[in-house]
Amino acid sequence: MLIGMLRALMVALVFASGSAAAAGVVVGKSEIAFTMRQMGVNFDGRFKQWKADVVFQPDALDKSRAEVDVDLGSVDLASAETEAEAKGPLWFNTPKFPVAHFASASIRNLGGNRYEIAGKLSVKGITRDCVVPVTVKADAAGSRIAEGAFSLKRLDYRIGEGEWADTSVVDNDIRVHVKMVLAPPG
Amino acid sequence: MPRPLANGFVTQRYNSAAIALHWVTAALIIANLLLGLTMVRLPISPQKLHWYLWHKSIGITIFALTSGRLAWRALRPHPAPVAMPTWQRQAAAVSHALLYVLLFATPISGWIYSSATGVQVVYLGTFPLPNLVPKDKALADTLRLVHIGLNSLLFTVICIHAAAALKHHFIDRDMVLARMLPFNRRRGATR
Repeated sequence: MLIGMLRALMVALVFASGSAAAAGVVVGKSEIAFTMRQMGVNFDGRFKQWKADVVFQPDALDKSRAEVDVDLGSVDLASAETEAEAKGPLWFNTPKFPVAHFASASIRNLGGNRYEIAGKLSVKGITRDCVVPVTVKADAAGSRIAEGAFSLKRLDYRIGEGEWADTSVVDNDIRVHVKMVLAPPG
Repeated sequence: MPRPLANGFVTQRYNSAAIALHWVTAALIIANLLLGLTMVRLPISPQKLHWYLWHKSIGITIFALTSGRLAWRALRPHPAPVAMPTWQRQAAAVSHALLYVLLFATPISGWIYSSATGVQVVYLGTFPLPNLVPKDKALADTLRLVHIGLNSLLFTVICIHAAAALKHHFIDRDMVLARMLPFNRRRGATR
């Protein structure tokens, strides 16, 4: 209980400044969203609070990295009722596991504007390999926009346990969309 | 087929398809009212999602059956009204018209409501139906009240409709109800 409260406090402190801590990432224009499929219907959600540390140097990919912390309690879904359920013990269990963490291990150039970020994703105390293909474009202001999507198997991370483990109700595949707008260097 | 009554008058029953459509619709409406009132009180769970799916599917079925009924009614007109005071015949005509309107409006209001909440209706969990409006929280809140209001009105008119039928059957002792019953046991009107 106490540990849970401390964790919650830590999360609150870490995310207190909104996501302004994100190095080089223009938070207002960036987005971490997802689409889940429930009995044949797609539902879109997103996370309101997260922070990202992204260094992207196309000519020095070995020095490039992406690290993202997502405050799972900031999940934005269709209704207050579904958000409360999503934070509950069967889904994210945010009192115990408030943050999802992604850390890149390697970034590979796939040619063109396409890159592949391989790393580890930790959710609910479970860490697994995760590969995120992204497309990087530059906008008129010189910002780079990295955009990608990947499928997350929710049961790999025990997201939706017990009665919710039934994939005929909620599909196992959750499509995660990430858009990071990187401010021009300097 | 005209059927002689014990008193010598001739009356007609509704045709079998009309009778079947009437009672199937009645059963579906009662089931869906109960389902709707129960499911909204459930805590969120897979069961609740399944009940919503069934509620919506039954509603769409009622809408489809009502379309079919009107088409059938155009092809095979209903029998002439049973003799009764003019005000009663007019009241019956008004309540029947209102029932038809509500049998369309109530499911449609639910469909639009579901669209406004951002939940596409998937008929029987298999056939996705188009969203009638884009997702809109304020509109959804309004449509929720509209859907509840139309259901309350529908339930009220059904009660009046049933009470009138029972009054005709047990007090006036005429053919109003009997000619809509699937198995007509009334003397002189048997097969």
